[in-house]
Amino acid sequence: MKHFKIYFLNIMIVCLLCSPAVAARIEISSPGEQTIPLAMTRLLPMGVGGAQPAIAAEFQQVLQGDLELSGLFDLTDPAAFLSDAGKLGLRRNEIDFYQWRMLGAEGLIKGGYRIAGGKLTIELRLFDVISQRLLTGRRYSGKLTDVRKIAHTFADQVLKSLTGEKGPFATKIAYISKRTGHKELYLMDVDGYKPVRLTNHRSIVLNPDFSPTRKELIFTSYSQENPDLYRKEIYTGRESRVSLKPGLNIGGRYSPDGREIALTLSKDKNSEIYLLGTDGTIHRRLTNHYSIDVDPSWSPEGDRIAFVSDRRGNPNIFIVDVHTLEVTRLTFEGKYNATPAWSPKGGRIAYSRMDNGVFNVFTIREDGTDERQLTFGSGSKEHPRWSPDGRFLVYSNDLQDGEKSIWIMRADGTGGRKISARGGHDSHPAWSHRW
Amino acid sequence: MLKSTITRLVVMLFVLTLLASGCAKKPVTEEPATSEQTTQMDQQQPAAVEEQAVTDTDTDTGYDAEAAARNAERAAAKGLETIHFDFDQYVLTDVSKSILVNNAGLLRSAPAVKILIEGHCDERGSDEYNLALGEKRALATKNYLVSLGVGADRMSVISYGEEMPFDSAHNKAAWAKNRRANFKVKR
Repeated sequence: MKHFKIYFLNIMIVCLLCSPAVAARIEISSPGEQTIPLAMTRLLPMGVGGAQPAIAAEFQQVLQGDLELSGLFDLTDPAAFLSDAGKLGLRRNEIDFYQWRMLGAEGLIKGGYRIAGGKLTIELRLFDVISQRLLTGRRYSGKLTDVRKIAHTFADQVLKSLTGEKGPFATKIAYISKRTGHKELYLMDVDGYKPVRLTNHRSIVLNPDFSPTRKELIFTSYSQENPDLYRKEIYTGRESRVSLKPGLNIGGRYSPDGREIALTLSKDKNSEIYLLGTDGTIHRRLTNHYSIDVDPSWSPEGDRIAFVSDRRGNPNIFIVDVHTLEVTRLTFEGKYNATPAWSPKGGRIAYSRMDNGVFNVFTIREDGTDERQLTFGSGSKEHPRWSPDGRFLVYSNDLQDGEKSIWIMRADGTGGRKISARGGHDSHPAWSHRW
Repeated sequence: MLKSTITRLVVMLFVLTLLASGCAKKPVTEEPATSEQTTQMDQQQPAAVEEQAVTDTDTDTGYDAEAAARNAERAAAKGLETIHFDFDQYVLTDVSKSILVNNAGLLRSAPAVKILIEGHCDERGSDEYNLALGEKRALATKNYLVSLGVGADRMSVISYGEEMPFDSAHNKAAWAKNRRANFKVKR
C-alpha cells in the first residue's frame, strides 16, 4: 500500500511538471543562444513487416534537417552511440538512460516504424535523459509517401514539448518562380521539397499571401492586362479576381482574422493603402498622400499596418493605425527601406534595406528601437516573411549571377540556407499559417 | 521641317487606312469581381498553328487592308519615342520633355490613334515600390502630353515596375535604359 502511494505521487509529480523541466532552459525568441544536447537514434523496424531502410533514412534526414535549422539542439554524433541506440525499446523502463547520459545527451529521440499493406506507421518518443521522463510520444500512420510530412510534424511536436510553441516545419511556402519562362505561383515544403506550380497565367504573377483561415492564396497577376488581385483555392484550383480597379491592385495581405485584405490601389492616380472585404469591396482608405504608399503588413492584433512610403523623401517604413489613421514613421536609418513584415508574434518588424544597390534584411522593434542587421554580403536579400511561430524568416536572395532563390534563416539571422532549386529565378516568398 | 511633313503624311495615310478598314473597336467588357474560373494545374500545350504556303496571286483584299493598317500602326508607334528617367524619379527631364513635344505633335496629327503608356523601372529597389514608381512615370508622361493638347481619353497607362527590362544586364547602362516610359498603339 505504501509502495502504491509513492507510485501514485510520482505520477502526480510527472503530470504537474509535464514539460517545464527542460523547457525552462530555452528561450523561444532567441534560437541559437542556448542549445540542448540531443541524441536522435535511427528508426528501427517494429514487429512483423518488411524493413525499408530507405524510409528510415529519409525520415532521419528530414527530422535532422528541421532540428538543426531550429538552432535549439546540439545533435550528438551517432558514431558515438552505444548499444541502446540499436534496441527498439520505446518504453521508459526499456531504455538505458545511463548510456545516453554518458554521451552528454539531455534529450533522446527514439522511434520505430512498421510497413504493412502499403501503410506506414511511425511511433516516436522524446525523453528527458536527466529526469528519465517521457516528454512526448506520438504515433503517426499514413501512406509511404507521407514520411516527410510525418518527420516535419514530429519536429513541430518536439519544439512544442520543449518550448511550449510548435515548430513551423509542417507548413508551406508559396513563391514566384520563372522556371517556365513566365512568373508563376508555386508552393513547396519548408525544406524546399516538392515544388508545385499553381498558376498557368503565362503573364506576370506577383507577391502571394496565404489566407490565415483557408487553404487559399491571394496574388497579383497581369493575365487580364491590368495588375489585378486574384484569389486561388490551393486544392480545388478555383480562381477568381478579387480586385480589378484601374491601375495597381498589388501587395494584397490578409488581416490576421482573414476578414479583410490590405493592399495598394492606384485607382485615383496615386498609390494608396486600402482595406477591402474578401469580396473585393472597398471598406476603407488608410492613406491619403501624394507620395508612393505600398507594401502593407498587418500587426498580429490587426490594429496597425506597416507600409512603405516616400512621403519624407526616400522610401521608409511607416505605421498607420487602422482606427485613427494616424501615421508614424518607423525607420530613419538608411536611404531605402522596403518590404516590411510584422512578426506574427508581435514585437519586431523585418524589412529590407538597400545600400549601394544591395538589399539586406533588418529587424526593428515596433517602437522603432533596437534595429538589427540580420544578413550581410553581396547577394540582394529581399521580401522577408516570418514563419507562423516567429522563429524563422524566409526571403529571396539574388546572387547577381543570374541565380535568385528562396532562403530561410533563424530570426536572429543565423542558419541561413537555400531551399529552392537552382535555375528558377525565385522570389516573393510567403510562409503559410499552420497547415 | 521636311522630316515633320513626312511624318505627318505617314500618320495621315495611317489614319485613312484605319478609317477604310472600319477601325473595329473592341467593346470593353467588365467582369463582376466574383466571377470564377477554374485553372487546371497543368494545362495542355496550345495546338500548333496551321501553316500554309501562299503565292503571290493568293491575295485576299480584307486581309490586305488589315495588314496595311497594322503596318501603319507600327509606323506610328515607332515614331513615338521612349523617354527616360533618373533613379527613383518620376519628374520629366528637359530631354524627356522635348521628346514628348515631338510625340505630342505626332499624336495631334493622328487623332484617331489611341495609345498605351507603359511605365518601367530599373531592377534596383523593391518590386512593389517600383510598380508604383512606374505608374507615376507613366502618369507624368500622360499629363505632360495632355498639357500639350493630346486628349486624355486617348491615352491609358500601365506600370510594369521592374518586370519588363529593356536591357536585362545588371549595370548602369542597362539601368538607365530601363528607367523609361514607352508607347504602344492600341488596336
